[in-house]
Amino acid sequence: MTYTERLFENNYTMLTKEFIGLIADASNLSKKEVEHLLTTTNALVREHLMAGKAIQLQGLGALEIKERKERVIVHPRTGERTIAPSKNQLVFRPMANMKDELKKI
Amino acid sequence: MAEKLSWTELRRALAERAGVSEKEAYTFLSTFSTKLVEALKSDKQVKINGLGIFKLQAVAPRKSVDVTTGEEIIIEGYNKIVFAPEAGVKELVESIQPADAGSQPTEIDPIQKLGAQAEEIVDILGDLGQSPKEEEPELPVVPEVPEEPEIPAEPEEPQAPEVPEPPFFYTPEPMPEPEPEPEMIEQEPEKKKKNHFLRDVLICVVILLLLLFGAYFFFRGQIGGWIEKMMQPKPAVELVETEEPTNNQELTAENEDEATLSEENLEEGEISEEQILAEFLEASGELDKVKKVAGQELIYAGWITVEPIHEGSRLTWMAKRFYGAKVYWPYLYDTNRDRFTDPNIIETGTPIRVPRLTAAQRDTTNAQTRANLDRLRLQAEAAMTK
Repeated sequence: MTYTERLFENNYTMLTKEFIGLIADASNLSKKEVEHLLTTTNALVREHLMAGKAIQLQGLGALEIKERKERVIVHPRTGERTIAPSKNQLVFRPMANMKDELKKI
Repeated sequence: MAEKLSWTELRRALAERAGVSEKEAYTFLSTFSTKLVEALKSDKQVKINGLGIFKLQAVAPRKSVDVTTGEEIIIEGYNKIVFAPEAGVKELVESIQPADAGSQPTEIDPIQKLGAQAEEIVDILGDLGQSPKEEEPELPVVPEVPEEPEIPAEPEEPQAPEVPEPPFFYTPEPMPEPEPEPEMIEQEPEKKKKNHFLRDVLICVVILLLLLFGAYFFFRGQIGGWIEKMMQPKPAVELVETEEPTNNQELTAENEDEATLSEENLEEGEISEEQILAEFLEASGELDKVKKVAGQELIYAGWITVEPIHEGSRLTWMAKRFYGAKVYWPYLYDTNRDRFTDPNIIETGTPIRVPRLTAAQRDTTNAQTRANLDRLRLQAEAAMTK
């Protein structure tokens, strides 16, 4: 890959089907196998998140749950102050080398 | 979330659950991550059913102030990876909350809790207000190293004021001790007003020490500033070095013509831009040769840098990083049209000249600006081989 291409293809969302096709082409797995593996991976990720574990994805980063603390929010028009309850958030923390690689694109 | 599911554990669990060999699971997971990175690089968002969307987001450059020197600096723009979980996954994660709600914040009435906090803050503020003035002179000195040796001297000082009769005998002792003076000043007038000499000497010592401290910090700050100034020109030089060294000979012939052109440009530009440009030219000595590129149509206020294009990048992304919006990419095409034939295919490492835009060129509501951008964009599109 020595060329940069696709000047106008901005903000194109690749759907799961296309992504599965890409993985199948790059590996010696069939599309069906890849789909099966992907769904089971997602199920595993969800299960382990429920069990309170962070999940490490090699070469990408980690998926982890972060608690967002309760805070005071102000209604912009009425000036009314209410408290937003604390809640959990799913956060993706990219690995350092991947972060740097994509930083200056 | 102290516990982590490691890469190998995930691979093993996946192989077990899906009923495939571990090797297959491994190839799947590794191609998954490489393909995801590739897709992100080619300006795509990736949606994965059952998980969420991964996307690349540009953060525009912004102005800030250097904390130590107070100078205005510009923080460069960059891209960051963002993950937006799917609605179902989000709800799932939010539903976990009761499990780790050990503190049980719901039981306490939140408004009462806030009220209690406010009272605490008021108490603390009250304490601060009552605290003696002695603390104030010490505050600026707190973070510094030289204080430490002086602090142990404090316990000795109270002795001097307590023993009143032989004052001259004790005078040498307080001399080397710097910090305690504020306390002594307040105590002495109450106990013994006769001892003026001791008091005067102490005040002199305090003033001297404060001056010394002040001078020390002042020069330290200045030296830090000098070091930063020394460091700043270096990156500029590096950037220029990346610029094509081979074309020097060809360009020198055109120097004279371009020099006159640059003068015209400077007249139109603003004063601050002139200064920036002059500094840049002095530092580089190279960029003046590319003051106006062959085929360049518009005249810009100067140059920001010359940057080699990265793999996976494109003119639109660079425009977003330098100017804050993709709309401005035709300007980059305008100043670099001699570097490539097809703006869709640029070899990685090609130095891209980034012009500094005038206020009018930035204003997209201006009809003239829009016409310019459209014209340049059409030219670029015509150059594309499709």
